[in-house]
Amino acid sequence: MLSAAAQNPGVLFLQRGGRKLNLQKCRRRRRHCHFQAVSSSCSEILTIRKSLVSRERKAVEIAQQYLNRLRNTEPLLRSFLHVSQNVMSEAEQIDRKIDRNEQLGPLAGVLIGVKDNICTLDMPSTGASRILRNYRPAFDATAVRKLRDCGAIIVGKTNMDEFGMGSTTENSAFQVTANPWNAERVPGGSSGGSAAAVSARQCVASLGSDTGGSVRQPAAFCGVVGMKPTYGRVSRYGLMAYASSLDVIGCFGSSVTDAAILLQAIAGHDRFDATSSKREVPEFTSQLEPAEFLDSKPLKGLRVGVISETLGDGVDSGTVSSIQAAASHFEELGCIVKEVSMPSFSLGLPAYYILASSESSSNLSRYDGIRYGNQIAAEELSSLYGASRANGFGSEVKMRILMGTYALSAGYYDAYYKRAQKVRTLVQKSLKAALTDNDVLISPAAPSPAYRMGEKKNDPLAMYAGDIMTVNVNLAGIPALVLPCGFSEDGPSGLPIGLQIIGAAFDEAKLFKVGHIFEQTLQGFRFVPPIVDTDI
Amino acid sequence: MAVANARLAMVGGIGVPVLQRQQNHFFYSFMAKNPLGHSLLRARRDFSARSTSSLLPPDVPRLAETARIALTPDEVKEFAPKIRQVIDWFGQLQAIDLQNVDPALRADAESNNLREDLPETFDNRESLLAAVPTYEKPYIKVPKVLNKD
Repeated sequence: MLSAAAQNPGVLFLQRGGRKLNLQKCRRRRRHCHFQAVSSSCSEILTIRKSLVSRERKAVEIAQQYLNRLRNTEPLLRSFLHVSQNVMSEAEQIDRKIDRNEQLGPLAGVLIGVKDNICTLDMPSTGASRILRNYRPAFDATAVRKLRDCGAIIVGKTNMDEFGMGSTTENSAFQVTANPWNAERVPGGSSGGSAAAVSARQCVASLGSDTGGSVRQPAAFCGVVGMKPTYGRVSRYGLMAYASSLDVIGCFGSSVTDAAILLQAIAGHDRFDATSSKREVPEFTSQLEPAEFLDSKPLKGLRVGVISETLGDGVDSGTVSSIQAAASHFEELGCIVKEVSMPSFSLGLPAYYILASSESSSNLSRYDGIRYGNQIAAEELSSLYGASRANGFGSEVKMRILMGTYALSAGYYDAYYKRAQKVRTLVQKSLKAALTDNDVLISPAAPSPAYRMGEKKNDPLAMYAGDIMTVNVNLAGIPALVLPCGFSEDGPSGLPIGLQIIGAAFDEAKLFKVGHIFEQTLQGFRFVPPIVDTDI
Repeated sequence: MAVANARLAMVGGIGVPVLQRQQNHFFYSFMAKNPLGHSLLRARRDFSARSTSSLLPPDVPRLAETARIALTPDEVKEFAPKIRQVIDWFGQLQAIDLQNVDPALRADAESNNLREDLPETFDNRESLLAAVPTYEKPYIKVPKVLNKD
């Protein structure tokens, strides 16, 4: 069923052979790297923790190193809309705690970027929209408060497509973010700033939000790990609502372990979000064993389904071969890999866009220029609304509100919104069935690697088509982990390719375990963009 | 559904906004007394992409009025073909047999997570008020709500 390359490990070996030089280079570099992992997990968070606890390094040194890199790379990347003024003082507080032998939170001294649609008390939160320029929330989002409670230092607010509407971060009202692997290409979106910042090691980890793939696709484009949790696993309190039935806050890290530590910190029920789940949050990291403790078939018997519709026409050939190589890698790890067909897969895309634009037309009605945000003065109230919203929203947001208004109009509701909800039922059922026959499903995270800026800007359908790999997961509300699994081509021009691993509802622990083993055993690739090498 | 109906009713109750009349050269003017009926006739002629004849293509100026976004004529010109293209693409769902399928409001989420409906005091009241663009203690100031017409 799988391609010749996937069936024949010999071919696979040859494909990977070309990377051997890189691996040696990587090992040489690591000897001099401050973040050399103690275990092979390559977790930057655990490395920071160890160096703080052992007093090998101070939190201010670590913070300064990241801030320096941020300042050096930011003119090219433009990942941040706002950088906190308090990073160094918060790092000093951590150092004082260490001096006093006080207990350290699990994220003590870890610099974390936060997507700009997640509210932060001490920093502007604009959702990359002009209508909220300079808006300062009166509260921290629950996820942010939990990060701070764990000792994290919020380094700043990351760029995004306005209110999450876009797949390239080009729809930001303020700036366009570049992909750290190739500055002429998009970082993906809508959480493009969060993905680019982690990829370029401007911060250790970051928060994003995922309504239709907005964590997973930029993670793939930037070669980092992205986790979209189960709907309800993380409180949405303080997340600017785009499509409430689909929105989740997700995590970026440079390793599966880091993404797991971050989710651990933010997951759980919150009385301020009635859709947040009361289920117990398992210990995600306890199952993540270092590579040296793994046996030769560490995933023996795990049933992996490759969604056949995701490797068909219209999918970039380099992406297809990377995913097939990943499937074959899972076989080497002892998995039983089969192809799974999901006929409803392509229907998820229009259903998603109907639901998301409909919900957004309702959710964004709160931006009226009265209680907060930017107001355009007028002599009459409805003109004030019309002018404030016209001036405050960008084109894509306006168009989606209009499409949603259309789909929700009296007489059209049954034909669009209700039908899309029925398709959501089909998608939920088919994913549930596939996840009964399989422990996890795999697919590409995007049909292609990062494309050029401007390439799809004026063609909404071409842009929307890029979300085909991710939207069904949101419709079903289930979790998915994306991690880099290869490059589009050999040589320095290669762009990272993301593997998506989909699991059953509330089974993030399995995704982390499987992803971690995959990551630890994948050899010959180094997912650190050249821009970082210059100063590490 | 309720949201959409409420908005449509609101639009019907309010006349042509004053600002838009004054600044006709800039903001798109919604001059038709009955924009819905007027545009239906025009729209039907252009409609060919879908098989379901009761569905009419989007009338962008009317939608913009409903959504309270004052579009410029250039924006209407730019958005209309794109929106129509996407709505036509949405139309593919009309061809699927969904008769015996129940709609799903959202992911299988838990119920009974609602907290007691009791008022609580928000600590950071000053910050909330500081965000109001035009605040004259103790009121949030808005322009007149009723139209002279």
